[in-house]
Amino acid sequence: MSAQMIVFALASALALVFALLMVVVKTPVKSVLSLVVTFFGLAVLSILLAAPFIAALQVIVYAGAILVLFLFVIMLLNLQKEATEKDARPIHRVLSLVAVLASGGLLAGVTLRAGAPPVPLTAPAAAYAIPAADEIPLLGRLLFSDYLLAFEALSVLLLLAAVGALILSKRRFE
Amino acid sequence: MTPALPGAAAGAGVAAMTVPPAAFLLVGTLLFFIGVAGALLKRNALSMFLSIELMMNAVNLLFLTYARMRGDAAGQMVVFFVIAVAAAEAAVGLAIFVALFRARMTIDVDKANLLKW
Amino acid sequence: MTLTLSEPLFNALLAVVKILFVWAMTLAALLPNLIWAERRVSGLIQDRPGPNRVGPLGLFQAVADVLKLMMKEDVVPLYVDKVLFTLAPLITLTPALVTFAVIPFGSSIPITWNGAVRDVPLVIADVNVGILYIFALTSLAVYGIVLAGWSSNDKYSLLGGVRASAQIISYELAMGFSAAGVFIAAGSLRLPAVVEWQHAHLWNVVPQFLGFVVFAVAIFAETNRIPFDLSEAEAELVAGYHTEYSSFRFAMFFMGEYANLIAASAVVTTLYFGGWSLPGVAFTGLWGGLASIAVFAVKTAAFIFLFLWVRWTLPRFRYDQLMELGWKVFLPLSFFHLIAVAAFVAASGR
Repeated sequence: MSAQMIVFALASALALVFALLMVVVKTPVKSVLSLVVTFFGLAVLSILLAAPFIAALQVIVYAGAILVLFLFVIMLLNLQKEATEKDARPIHRVLSLVAVLASGGLLAGVTLRAGAPPVPLTAPAAAYAIPAADEIPLLGRLLFSDYLLAFEALSVLLLLAAVGALILSKRRFE
Repeated sequence: MTPALPGAAAGAGVAAMTVPPAAFLLVGTLLFFIGVAGALLKRNALSMFLSIELMMNAVNLLFLTYARMRGDAAGQMVVFFVIAVAAAEAAVGLAIFVALFRARMTIDVDKANLLKW
Repeated sequence: MTLTLSEPLFNALLAVVKILFVWAMTLAALLPNLIWAERRVSGLIQDRPGPNRVGPLGLFQAVADVLKLMMKEDVVPLYVDKVLFTLAPLITLTPALVTFAVIPFGSSIPITWNGAVRDVPLVIADVNVGILYIFALTSLAVYGIVLAGWSSNDKYSLLGGVRASAQIISYELAMGFSAAGVFIAAGSLRLPAVVEWQHAHLWNVVPQFLGFVVFAVAIFAETNRIPFDLSEAEAELVAGYHTEYSSFRFAMFFMGEYANLIAASAVVTTLYFGGWSLPGVAFTGLWGGLASIAVFAVKTAAFIFLFLWVRWTLPRFRYDQLMELGWKVFLPLSFFHLIAVAAFVAASGR
C-alpha cells in the first residue's frame, strides 16, 4: 500500500464519517463543525488530485468564511436544538429516504462507469502524474482569457449578493 | 479545449497517481448522497443549507477528479467558479434565514407555509 | 559526516529535524520569554519594575505562571457543552503551530550526504501555495474562539464569540488584498520566492508601505490583540470567550494567543521585512545559514515587541468603530494598494 493510498483512505474516511455526523447531529453548531472537518478531508483529497490551489481556496472560502458566517447566524439567532416534536408527516420522511436511495444508486452507477471508462481518454496516461510545475499561473491566465466573461459576471453576481444580503437582513424601521 | 495542466506533459521523475480515480469518484458520490439525504430529511433551514453545501463540494471533488484524469485545467476552473458562487449564495441564503427568523421566530421550513395549500 | 540513508528516509528525517527545531524555538525559547517580556514591557511602559523575583531579572516568571495555572482547580461549569468546551483551547493553539511549516526561517545549510554536498533550504515545506496555506490556517483559528464562546453557555462568552467571528471575517479581506501586492511583486505565492525577491531587490516595506500598514493592523485584529481584542474586552464582557475557563484550559488559550502572535510576527517579517535576508549580505555556508536564522529571529522579536508596545499604549476600540475601520477604511485602502501595485508591475513590463 502506497503512502498516497493511506492518505486517501484516512482523508476520505474522515470526510464521510463527519458528513454522516453532520446529518445525524441535532445541534446546528455541531453540524457546522462536522462539515468543517469534512471540508478538511476534502481539501486533503484535492491535494492528492494535484490541485493544491483549489484545496487552499476551499479551506479559506468554505471553512474560513462561509461556515464562520453560518456560526455567526446560529449564534445571532440563538438556535439551540432542532425541534424534537413529532413529525407532522412521517410519510414525507419515508418518501425522501426512498428518493435518496434511488437517485443515489443511479448516480453511483453512472459516476463509477465514468471512472472506468471503456473509451480511451484523450490525454495520455502521464496525465495522472502530479504536476511538476506550478499550476497557479496557468489557472490565472485562464481566468483572464478563456473565462474572462464568466469571471466578470461572477464579480457582478458577488456585488448583487452583497447588496441583496444587506437589503434582506436590514431591519425595517416604520 | 483548454490547455492541459502542467503535469499532463511531465515525463519521468514525477510520481504516478497510485489511487485509482474510481475511488475518488466513489467518495464524491457517497458524499453527494449524504448531502441529498440531509437536504431532504432535515427540517431546520440552516441544516438543509449545510447539506446543500456538502452536495456542492462533493460535485467539486468529481470535477477535480475528472480534471486530473484528463489533465485538463477546465475542471479546476469550474470548481473555482462553484466556490465563488457558493459564497454569494451563502450570503443571500443566510440573509433570508435572518429575515425569516424575524418574521416567524423560527427557521423550521415546515412553519414557513404561507404560500402552501 | 557521511550518512547512508535512502533518499526518502533522509528527506523525512530532515523534515522531522526541522519541525523539532522550529517548535523548540517557538515553544521552548520564544514563548516563555514572551510571557516574561509582556509583563516586563508593561512594567516599563507603566513606569514600574514588573515581575523581577523569580530568577535573574524575573526571567523564570513564565515557569511560575504556568505552574500556578496547572496547580489550580480545573473547573468545568455544569451547563457547558463538554466536548466542544474541551476542544476549543486545542483548536486555538494548533493552527499557530502548524503555520510555521511554510515560513522560511533561514537561507540554507550545506549537508554532506552520500558523498555529495547539498544545500538544505531552511523551510519545512516549500509548497507553491505557501501564503494561501497561511490564510487557510488563520481562518481556522477563529473556530477556537467562537466555539469557546458558544460551548460555555454563558452570555458574555457568547457575545465574545459572535464578535470574534464577525471581526475576523471582516479583517481577513483587507489582510488578503494587502498581502496580494507582495505576491504580484514577487510573481509567486511561494514564501521562499518572496524572501529571495526581497533579497535581490528591496524590502517590501519600502515600496509597499501602505500594504504593510493595512496588513499589520489586520494582523492585530486577526490575533485579537489590543486595540482589537473586542472578543475578550474585560471592561464590558468580563473576559469574553474565556470567561468560563480556568486552570490548564485557560493556560492553553494563553499559550495559543502567544503562539499566534509569534506566528503573525514571523509572517510579517517574511512578507515585508525580507525574512532571513539582510541587504547586501550573502548568507552561504554553515555559518551563513545559522546567521540567517539569527537574523530572522531578531526581526521577528522586534515585531513581537511592537505588538507588546501597542498593547500597553493604545486603548481598545469600540465595536462599531472596529467594523467601520475595517470595511470603510482598510478595505478600500487595500483595494487601492493592490491596483497601484498591479499597475506599477504592468507598467514596468514584468
